[in-house]
Amino acid sequence: MKVRFTRTLACFLFLLSALAVYAQSGSELRFCLHGEPKTFDPALVDDEASENVRYMTGGVLIRLNRQTQALEPGLATSWQISKDGHKITFHLRKGLSFSDGTPFTSEDVAYTMRRLMDPQMHSSTGDAFRSGEGAVDVQTPAPELVVITFPAPVAGLERLFDQVAIVSAHSPKKEMAVLGPYSVAEYKSGAYVLLQRNPNYWKHDAQGRSLPYIESVRLDIQRNREIELMRFRRGELHLINRLDAEQFDHLQHDDPAVTRNAGTGLDAEEFWFNQSPAAPLPEFKKEWFRTMEFRRAVSLAINREDLCRIVFAGHAKPAYGPVSPSNQFWFNAALPAPKHDPQGALRLLTQAGFRYEKNVLKDHAGNPVEFTVVTNSGNVAREKMATMIQQDLSQIGIKMNVVTLDFPSLIERMTRTFDYDAFLLGLVNTDLDPNSQMTVWLSSGENHQWNPSQKTPATAWEAEIDKLMQEQASTLNERQRKAQFDRVQQIVAEQQPFLYLVNKDVLTAVSPAVVGAAPVVLNPQAFWNVETLQVKPLPEMGANR
Amino acid sequence: MSGKTILRTLSGSILCAVVAAGLLAGSLTHYSYDRQFREAPNATPSALHPLGTDSLGRDLLARLAYGTRVSLVLAPAAALLATLIAGLFGGIAGLAGGWSEKLILSAADLSMALPLLFVLIALRALLPLDVSPLISVVATFVTLGALGWPASLRVVWAAARNLRNSDFLLLARASGCTPARILLRHVMPNLRPVLFAQFWVSIPLFVLTEATLSMLGLGVMEPLPSWGNLLKGLEDFSAVRANPWMLSPLVLLVGVVVCFQLILPAEEALT
Amino acid sequence: MDERELDPRLSSASREAIRKEHRLQSGLISYYGTYLTRAAQGNFGRSEWLERPIAGLLKERFPLTLRSVVLGLLTAWAAALFLSLAALYSRGWFLDLTGTLFSGLLIALPGAVVALLAMYFRAPVFVAIGVVTFPKLFRYLRNLLLHAYEQPYVLAARARGVGQARLLLRHVLPLAAPPVAALLGVSISMAFGAAIPIEALCDSPGIGQLAWLAALNRDLPLIVTLTLLVTLVTVAANSAADLLHQRAQ
Repeated sequence: MKVRFTRTLACFLFLLSALAVYAQSGSELRFCLHGEPKTFDPALVDDEASENVRYMTGGVLIRLNRQTQALEPGLATSWQISKDGHKITFHLRKGLSFSDGTPFTSEDVAYTMRRLMDPQMHSSTGDAFRSGEGAVDVQTPAPELVVITFPAPVAGLERLFDQVAIVSAHSPKKEMAVLGPYSVAEYKSGAYVLLQRNPNYWKHDAQGRSLPYIESVRLDIQRNREIELMRFRRGELHLINRLDAEQFDHLQHDDPAVTRNAGTGLDAEEFWFNQSPAAPLPEFKKEWFRTMEFRRAVSLAINREDLCRIVFAGHAKPAYGPVSPSNQFWFNAALPAPKHDPQGALRLLTQAGFRYEKNVLKDHAGNPVEFTVVTNSGNVAREKMATMIQQDLSQIGIKMNVVTLDFPSLIERMTRTFDYDAFLLGLVNTDLDPNSQMTVWLSSGENHQWNPSQKTPATAWEAEIDKLMQEQASTLNERQRKAQFDRVQQIVAEQQPFLYLVNKDVLTAVSPAVVGAAPVVLNPQAFWNVETLQVKPLPEMGANR
Repeated sequence: MSGKTILRTLSGSILCAVVAAGLLAGSLTHYSYDRQFREAPNATPSALHPLGTDSLGRDLLARLAYGTRVSLVLAPAAALLATLIAGLFGGIAGLAGGWSEKLILSAADLSMALPLLFVLIALRALLPLDVSPLISVVATFVTLGALGWPASLRVVWAAARNLRNSDFLLLARASGCTPARILLRHVMPNLRPVLFAQFWVSIPLFVLTEATLSMLGLGVMEPLPSWGNLLKGLEDFSAVRANPWMLSPLVLLVGVVVCFQLILPAEEALT
Repeated sequence: MDERELDPRLSSASREAIRKEHRLQSGLISYYGTYLTRAAQGNFGRSEWLERPIAGLLKERFPLTLRSVVLGLLTAWAAALFLSLAALYSRGWFLDLTGTLFSGLLIALPGAVVALLAMYFRAPVFVAIGVVTFPKLFRYLRNLLLHAYEQPYVLAARARGVGQARLLLRHVLPLAAPPVAALLGVSISMAFGAAIPIEALCDSPGIGQLAWLAALNRDLPLIVTLTLLVTLVTVAANSAADLLHQRAQ
């Protein structure tokens, strides 16, 4: 009896381990999402986790190649934009079908666009197309021809289609029927999302093999970066999409082959002062924040090199403008990049009527300069930066307090009550084209953070920025647009409504089991080419599960 | 001296030493807790920095000393508040009896069923703490104090109830003492040891709760150090391996709580 | 207040729509009034931050936490009972002292530190919960049992010559049963409280982690519902214990 039991147990265990090894060889890519995907509907995608899933499941007409930053044909083989910029015509690939077999025609594109532009949808992807008043018209003269007409020309129109994942008009599965390399097979809230290979994916490699190579992708939902790192080290994960600078260094020290620094990213950390007349602040404070010399002096007093060196362990570069140097086309290399200069800052301040006596900076009325900067809680790097800036400013006699708040309170202060002195936040740039930031630069814009929703421009320079932004939005000439936006960046550098601090490097980790990974700075950094990635089982990884 | 007394005296002296170190933090280290030594982040212990520095280059010894001040000075304040509330309501329940007793006891029971951390988190979420770190610290501990009373209440109530039925109180009432005089001269002196025991037992509990809250990011705000704040750094295991002295706040915390326990164990105070 | 409001791509109309979705609470009392009436109908509202119905979130996450808490409590109770009974049985000082020292050390560890240790040693979540609840349980149990052991009733039985084992099981335990049953309710409350930092730091998708994230995102409906849920569970457990005890008598 006992012997029989032991034998059955042994057989069972053997079968289990064989199954495990077999499952490994079925090739699955495993990595983590840092939050819960809020939706699988491509039109409503707004958070990072959902966007990552959309990237891998959505089929798009035009794909922006993350590596070359150039546009490639996707579901559309070619496209033409009319001279006046109002109309775009797409020629679609023939004979394609969705993941569940439903055929793909221009009707699906029309359905997707109409759905996206539906005012009730409130889709941010859709709103990006809204260049003017009036409805967007979509015509399907043939099953492989789509004509979309906009009420006003849309700057950077083609790039926007990279975000539009085509949804089936007829499939019973609705948004779950996809044209991308993978489809969502399983979703367990709080735990993981399992993506399965789409057998009907249209792309083939040079040898004619159908893509993607990897059978399935398992996305674990893991908020804790330490646990993610631990699991990566143990071989449970194949890549980490964004690493902290300190984690990167520790990992690099142990295993330099797995860490990849893709270069300077597009994101910037920015600092701005409240210039809104509706702010419940004392008048003398408002006066400080409106004084250009004050803002420039603060910018000069901040030691950006130290921030890069200490908070980001050297994996960041000082930033002086809204566009990162990695955004090759739009970056203005002619912008001034002044080094840390407390003496220069004090000279500027004295010019503006401030006095520096006994280590305290006072304005012309004798008020000591003191203000509070607000940042979001839970972001360790930002809290560290704020603490370091605190010390930098104390050297020119400014007392800065740091307060961390949860996001809802932050937004309340930023957009409703304007009850704050200064903010320190990150600017997340997913789009290379500055046109998507219109509401930030227009003085009437709601994202014009330092003084939103102005009825008329409060200052001459804001009026000039308004003019330039309107001009660049209405022309299709890329060179002209660049010249105009370069001038905007120049004005911003002179007036410093935003004090740009650093551009962080994009740090990823890729397991040696992954073949073909080439991390880049554009989102999604490590798995932008997921369809051509391969996973090979490593001898030492086979035992881990 | 018995072993117990030796232990008690030892614990007592350790506690006094730690509290003194916290209060006299300025003389213990000549660095401020927020001064950043930017040339030496994450430094290992040296003559200049006996415990090393943290990721921003701040001296760990200074942060530990000032953190001791925050944790060890405010926890007793919270414990005092909780004990006073428990004393007040427990006393009323025990002495008055009747429906007030029933009401207070059921409120206490219901509060006991609420896990402290859930309620703390909910309260903190209600109040946007956009004030200076110092006020946030005070607010955290006041909330702790305001929520920590149910546990102590039952004990105080039991003692007060015994008092109510005691002979000498009967005698006092029979001889015509006014209620105020009874309260002052008879009830208070008898309840005092119970209250003190509860106060003593609550302190380590609040120290631990503050530590957990701060590690979750909901307690004392930067750059003010507290033990919980400093323990947050332990989440990065590789950093701890590089500089094991980062564990010193944990050692200090455990040591202090153990000392409190040795002087007056909680379960003794509950019976 | 929604993070989406910060997306520069949104048009004014969309932004207005998002703002309308978040109704401003007029006052705390009216808020709780409407909340309770709706909760009574089974509608726990929507989570502001996750934008999903709260009832669905609870259904997904609660079983995991329940499992961890139940397993953790079972381990803690088993260990505490075993150790305290063994200490009493042996009548020597060694077991008692070791138990007291060990539990004393464990009590002094903040729940979050235990969570970190569990993460480091790859221990499952319920082990951490058990470790946090065990020391307090042990100390109270030990005291209760000791107190019962010294009752005249038990003394009399000892004088009669009843054996240690029989003494413990037949005389001490029944005597100590009422306060022990009360302890059960308290331990459930403790375990759920400990679940918050442990799940948060170990990244376990239960209601503890949900409560912590809700606090970080100031999602009031979610926190209130969670607190209510845990309270109900504890009160139910307490009443069940009371009922059983009364039945036993």
